[in-house]
Amino acid sequence: MGSKPKPAARRRIRAPRDFYGGLALMALAAFAWWGSLNLSGMQGVQFGAGTAPRLFAGLLFLTGGVIAVMGLIRDGEPIGRYGVRGPLLVAASILLFATAIRPLGLPLTSFLTILLTSAASDEVRWLESILWAAVLSAACTLLFVYALGLALPLWPSF
Amino acid sequence: MDLLANLALGFSVAAAPENLLLCMVGVIVGTMVGVLPGIGPVASIAILLPVTFGLSPAGALIMLAGIYYGAQYGGSTTSILVNIPGEASSVVTTLDGFQMAKNGRAGPALAIAAIGSFAAGTVATFLVALLGQPLTRVALMFGAPEFFALMVVGLVLAVVLASGSVLKAVAMILLGLLLSTVGSDLSTGMPRLSFGLMELSEGLSFVVIAMGMFGIAEVVRNLQAPEQRGIVRGKVTNLMPTRADLVQSAGAIGRGTVIGSILGVLPGGGAVMSSFAAYTLEKRIARDPSRFGKGAIEGVAAPESANNAAAQTSFIPLLTLGIPGNAVMALFLGAMTMQGIVPGPQVMMFQPSLVWAVIVSMWIGNLMLLVLNLPLIGVWVSMLRVPYRLLFPAIVIFCCIGGYAVNNSSLDVILTGAFGLLGYWLVRHDFEPAPLILGLVLGPLLEENLRRALIISSGDVAVFFTRPLSASLLLAAVILLAFSVLPAIRKRRHEVFVE
Repeated sequence: MGSKPKPAARRRIRAPRDFYGGLALMALAAFAWWGSLNLSGMQGVQFGAGTAPRLFAGLLFLTGGVIAVMGLIRDGEPIGRYGVRGPLLVAASILLFATAIRPLGLPLTSFLTILLTSAASDEVRWLESILWAAVLSAACTLLFVYALGLALPLWPSF
Repeated sequence: MDLLANLALGFSVAAAPENLLLCMVGVIVGTMVGVLPGIGPVASIAILLPVTFGLSPAGALIMLAGIYYGAQYGGSTTSILVNIPGEASSVVTTLDGFQMAKNGRAGPALAIAAIGSFAAGTVATFLVALLGQPLTRVALMFGAPEFFALMVVGLVLAVVLASGSVLKAVAMILLGLLLSTVGSDLSTGMPRLSFGLMELSEGLSFVVIAMGMFGIAEVVRNLQAPEQRGIVRGKVTNLMPTRADLVQSAGAIGRGTVIGSILGVLPGGGAVMSSFAAYTLEKRIARDPSRFGKGAIEGVAAPESANNAAAQTSFIPLLTLGIPGNAVMALFLGAMTMQGIVPGPQVMMFQPSLVWAVIVSMWIGNLMLLVLNLPLIGVWVSMLRVPYRLLFPAIVIFCCIGGYAVNNSSLDVILTGAFGLLGYWLVRHDFEPAPLILGLVLGPLLEENLRRALIISSGDVAVFFTRPLSASLLLAAVILLAFSVLPAIRKRRHEVFVE
């Protein structure tokens, strides 16, 4: 636990979840605005390609701003601790799947992905996970490739 | 006798062996996934969307609908047996359902939940059939300004009726709208916000975002929270409710059905709100309110009937107007689009067999649930014992394969993961993903109708206010939004969701 959390009134940012959440949305909106700068705006009465993105981005920027300001003046929950192991390993296993699916094929890729994901839980038991990964990857292959007929690569391509 | 002819048409399609099988698979898989802890109906549908890629449009929608009410049913099973609501709409069922289970009356509680759901589902199915056509006729008279106004009302209602902060829900809808603009522009074909990536020139796949936000984000969130799980006490025996049980709950089922049917049509958390409302009503009109919370059978019958009725009638706006009222309906709209169906009143006109088949299949699915579920209780109970450490790798691999299968693109898999992390981050900051999905699927429709309305009026924004229908719709939206931020109303709204 460590030190006791400060009472909300004494924190400088009274609702950190709202404050940082609002700021991040503003950043996202600004990014989208910048990304749509090369698109044309209103052409007379016609919407240009960039009109809608900039309209939504602008409104999102404003709403994010209001949320951030409210986070300064109204009390709220602290952000709390982010998980590290979970998000990191889940993200890593998804990346593994994305890069391995074409060269390695579905059964092998699923097996490896499931093994890596399993490590995201603190309760992982390796022998069980290896067996489960084998069963699950076989089941997925049967379901998606044979039963549903989706065009997924099956075997490693050399 | 239009109605009967239509129902017969629907029946002929829905009762085809292939569709019956899909309905059954959907109902069973839905119940299974609904029973599993940490996966509600929205997540179940999102994760299982890729399974429907290879099916016919009718088959895909029938199966998804089956998954939806199967998951609802599974959610109430866990509420009663282990005091864990599988989803928000069966939270109130835990109050009396789990108490009944503790008193050794788990069987009657489960049975009355099933019977109530079936009765409510039957009434609601007829209601959908009855209201479908007149509403479609009204919708066909709508022009672009009216559709735009209607979508704004829908989005505003979804914000007002959802739990949590109004402002944050608005922000999520806007983020969804913004994400919907990625991809080629509707009229010029210019790639927008694709940052030079070929894969993005056709837009962000809706399935990818839904699976990331609801599947992966949930996994990451659950991994951090320590697992809490009740223990199933003893065996469930003596399923049949007594005569007294049935008499006692008949009225509750009726009232729950009425409340659910009405609230379900409104956008927003229809099923959730109606179950709360039905429970509150029962408690208020009961001769002895102190029985509630101690195993009153009406406390199970009313909310379970209400949430099932609402689940069904929430299809009305989707099927007639093409406008989804909640996240589940948004997923349906996405699934329809993926099947090449353009949602809107035209669907009812030009593909009546599809719409009526889906409507009839709802009733068939409910019947299957009633017949299948009670004997299968033992199976559901054993599913409850599957530990999360085995469950979440299955969700992750399903999302990976599903993400890849949309376009056979590795980038989509990476995006699924990215939206998963974004969803986790949003939830940690109390932003809900449901309004985002709503904005995402409504975005293209909203933009197109806004564009068309402005072209019709030669750029005069007044068009939205001079046409009486769109003016009154927009006025309603403004009033609703204004009311929802008033402190007095906000307090009441908070109470409804907390009680």
